[in-house]
Amino acid sequence: MAIESLAGIDQILEPSAGALLRRRVFGHAGFLIGLVIILAILAVALLAPVLAPYDPYDQNLSQRLINPVWFDNGSWAHPLGTDQLGRDYLSRLIYGARISLLIGTVAATISGLIGTSLGLAAGYFGGRVDMAVTFIITTRLAMPVILVALAVVALAGGSLQVVILVLGLLLWDRFAVVTRSTTMQVRALDYVAAARATGCSTLRIVLAEILPNIMNALIVVVTLEMAQAILLEAALSFLGLGVQPPLPSWGLMVAEGKEYMFFSPWVITIPGVALFTLVLAINLLGDGVRDLTAPENRS
Amino acid sequence: MRILAWLGGAAALVLATLPAEAGKSTDTLNIALSKAIENYDQYFNTAREGIVFARQVWDTLLDRDPRTGEYKPLLAQSYRWVDPLTLDFTLREGIVFHNGAKFDADDVVYTLNFVSDPANKVLTQANVSWIKSVEKTGPYAVRLHLKAPFPAALEYLAGPLTIYPHEYYAKVGPQGMSRQPIGTGPYKVVAAEPGKSFTLVKNTAYFKDSPKGQPEIGKIVERTIPEVPTQVAELLTGQTDWLWQVPADQTEKLRQMPNLTVKSAETMRIGYIGFDAAGRSGDTPMKNRKVREAIAHAVDRAAMVKNLVRGDSHVVNAACFRTQFGCTEDGVRHYDYDPALAKKLLAEAGYPDGFDTEIYAYRDRQLVEAIIGYLRAVGIRAKLDYLEYAALRDKNWAGTTPLFYMTWGSNSVNDVSAIIGNFFKGSPDDFAHDDELKKWIEAGDTSVDPDIRKTSYKKALQRIADEVYWVPMFSYVANYAYTSDLEFTPDADEVPRFYSAHWK
Amino acid sequence: MLAFTLKRTLVALLVAITVSIISFSLLRLSGDLAQALAGPSATAADVIAVRKAYGLDQPLAVQYLDWAGKALHGDFGDSFFFKEPVWSMIATRLPVTMTLGVCALFFALVVAIPLGVLAALRPNSWIDRLALTLSVFGQALPSFWFALMLMILFGLKLRWLPISGTGSWQHYVMPAIALGYYGMPAFMRLTRAGMMEVLASDYIRTARAKGLRTPTVLFKHALRNAIIPVVAVAAVQFGFFLGGSIVIESVFALHGVGYLGLESISRADFPVVQAIVLILASFYIVLTLVADLLNAVLDPRIRVA
Repeated sequence: MAIESLAGIDQILEPSAGALLRRRVFGHAGFLIGLVIILAILAVALLAPVLAPYDPYDQNLSQRLINPVWFDNGSWAHPLGTDQLGRDYLSRLIYGARISLLIGTVAATISGLIGTSLGLAAGYFGGRVDMAVTFIITTRLAMPVILVALAVVALAGGSLQVVILVLGLLLWDRFAVVTRSTTMQVRALDYVAAARATGCSTLRIVLAEILPNIMNALIVVVTLEMAQAILLEAALSFLGLGVQPPLPSWGLMVAEGKEYMFFSPWVITIPGVALFTLVLAINLLGDGVRDLTAPENRS
Repeated sequence: MRILAWLGGAAALVLATLPAEAGKSTDTLNIALSKAIENYDQYFNTAREGIVFARQVWDTLLDRDPRTGEYKPLLAQSYRWVDPLTLDFTLREGIVFHNGAKFDADDVVYTLNFVSDPANKVLTQANVSWIKSVEKTGPYAVRLHLKAPFPAALEYLAGPLTIYPHEYYAKVGPQGMSRQPIGTGPYKVVAAEPGKSFTLVKNTAYFKDSPKGQPEIGKIVERTIPEVPTQVAELLTGQTDWLWQVPADQTEKLRQMPNLTVKSAETMRIGYIGFDAAGRSGDTPMKNRKVREAIAHAVDRAAMVKNLVRGDSHVVNAACFRTQFGCTEDGVRHYDYDPALAKKLLAEAGYPDGFDTEIYAYRDRQLVEAIIGYLRAVGIRAKLDYLEYAALRDKNWAGTTPLFYMTWGSNSVNDVSAIIGNFFKGSPDDFAHDDELKKWIEAGDTSVDPDIRKTSYKKALQRIADEVYWVPMFSYVANYAYTSDLEFTPDADEVPRFYSAHWK
Repeated sequence: MLAFTLKRTLVALLVAITVSIISFSLLRLSGDLAQALAGPSATAADVIAVRKAYGLDQPLAVQYLDWAGKALHGDFGDSFFFKEPVWSMIATRLPVTMTLGVCALFFALVVAIPLGVLAALRPNSWIDRLALTLSVFGQALPSFWFALMLMILFGLKLRWLPISGTGSWQHYVMPAIALGYYGMPAFMRLTRAGMMEVLASDYIRTARAKGLRTPTVLFKHALRNAIIPVVAVAAVQFGFFLGGSIVIESVFALHGVGYLGLESISRADFPVVQAIVLILASFYIVLTLVADLLNAVLDPRIRVA
């Protein structure tokens, strides 16, 4: 069906010949690299108040656009220089990690709850319920997401909470599709039939039998959706309709720095690389989880 | 491999057929503007970009010489004040509109009567509301009646009041005029795509006696490029020849480029923080005078001028620009940068831990962010609502904005009535609703005696400062960056006179 | 096959109607429409008059049907900002977005298919690893940042390509790359998987055993079969490009539908936003329907679903 191909379900469920190959080539290197990077960024985010040399909101207009330490006129007082309002860039980068991780996890959680519930219902009950859920998913896929997100944020105001909520309410489609597919597969298994025969309640079956078996696929989707939420928030902030200043979001930092990009390219390179690294790590982690929990490894 | 060879061939093709650079060699001036012009009809847009377009395409009855300040007759041959309420004009003969129609008294009568009729909903009512009626007194003579004495009338007749061809305008109206603009000006419109671009060509039939001179540059092509870095990149690579409103940070670097010229000049535009003192948007902290005063003390305007605006910009303390008639800082309260005092005042006003609010703005994002930073340092957490000018203007008029940073160029009218008259006389822009203030301004507007005008306006400016209805911030510097092949002189009224520019 | 087509078309129609209802409510959410239409300097009497004139005092269901009926004829009302018919504004900008989408698709396919084929032919080689690395890196790159980097490198430093605008085909090169790279990994993966599957099949091995030259075998039979799923996904990906071109259009100053959408949102010009959402969604729905039918024609098993 069209929905599966759209959600790129092949990259999530079955490791193709290519994936098996890649696993041999890269081994678990990808997974480890991803994990290490994410843990590092998480640590930085948690320890932000300790690590950041300055308050990221502290502006000092006479200290604007100081070059980072690797230039002639840079200094260790501001290792990554200052931005256009004199705020220390390193501190903003560190606090920005918090925002990206916060957005990624909360938005993915919200969309996970919505999508998984829908997918479970569709996969387990089938029939009319399945038709209804599929219809809802197709409708959601038909809407131009960025445009709708921009419009809603413009209407409701650009606060962090609104952006996270909007992303969470829009990005559940892949969860729903994957959950639906895997649930349908698991439902057909013998022990689930046995559970139903012995009269277990639907809720119990879903929670105890089905959910654990689709958990692997879900984890992969969580990582993909986290990455997408982070990139989407960065794009919204870049366009000016995401989180608002003076919040140190990496996407906003690129937006604020683009005026200076020809003469001080580091202003947009640094947050851009940060975004790239985080998203790459999350994707590697997801890839790794999928590879390691591939069907042939299951007992 | 074949693929690599194919890629190499494609690259060579790309290099070989890069579009030829425009500019002097093709007698085409490529300019870039950041904002879309919503309606090319001069009376139905309010952004400065509209003025850029209008001054090349249409003429007014009079023209103010940017260097001497003198009013020279343009479409008019001569004028005289019969009495403070009556103004007579004799019009030039032999002028032709771009569509071939002859210019005569009917055009002036129709245009001015149309735009001064409030039912036609011209956007900036202050430009036209002083006109009572215009009547034809001869094939090339008109008489203009004023509602009340209004010494600034000549300024308006030399600025925004462009004259339209009466048959065409009656037939197509503002929408038609926007789609195909017709005027008498030094440039004719070849294309006018709303929001995207416009193209002008030299009007070779432009009347020879015009004080505006004769246009030399053959073609002007405008493109709307919203992003500043894109504009700067285009200028650096020669795909665009002329930019304005270049941020101060870029000008330093651009100045170093050998093929570019950068000119900066102070303008009449001032930036200000506005408050909903009258409570139109509800019961907000801005109603409290102490809060407004605290905000005035919280922002370091001198630092912003020195580090952000730079150039010839100055801190402004009175709600006007210093060259405007009636503008004075004499007796007007100054508020120094004092964050400690700001916090104290906030506590006295009942906000010891500060408060949350929204701040609205439509331009100069960086300046507004600096203001937000200063407010934050005294406990006021201001969330930025950044909108397009038209959308913010509408919200303003509806009274839903408690705190805003805006600017006002006074339509380049060198009279204080053009600024405080617009904002404190009870129009939808008025957030003070101060009757006494209104009376003083009206006294200044309608008196013919310059001393009475000055005294009245001084009282008004003092009141505005005492009540902190505004925090006037600083004057703007306009930065222009353009190809060194072009000889162009920017004027303090922020009106680019392309008809006076030429190639070197 | 007929039953299948009818069923799919019916579903597509229902989805379109649902999207139109959502898009309609988007506009109504923005506050008192009559006030916005009458303008800020309108009196209360003006607002009432406007409300009547535009039928805004009718029940919502009636308003929706009225709007939907007009929309079917292409009448989306007038833009608040420009006071021009919405449809004409969109129509003049649609070609830019379409061109961009086609170029982006072309770029993605031109890079992905050869890479996928080569990777399938030489598994585990440097080509395979390059392909993998490109796809993993590609998915992590923020598009707006990539666009700016391209602009600095090719537009400013090397001066190979024009910075912005739509004057010539060169103007579309950087935007096409910046938009299309995100779709490349999916195509490459599909091509590679498809090729490998086909190459390993009995049919191909028999042909090889018979002595047919490898290039003939390869290009005539294998590729044709492997491409099938890619075609269907390409149609859908094109739909995504149309809906997701906002950032690229903004950075490169391309006056397309996406950029109009962004501007209109900033200006609270909701008739335009509403129309764009509906039109983009319709394109997507039609494209997916076509892709579905294509798949069904080529793979009979699907028709039973």
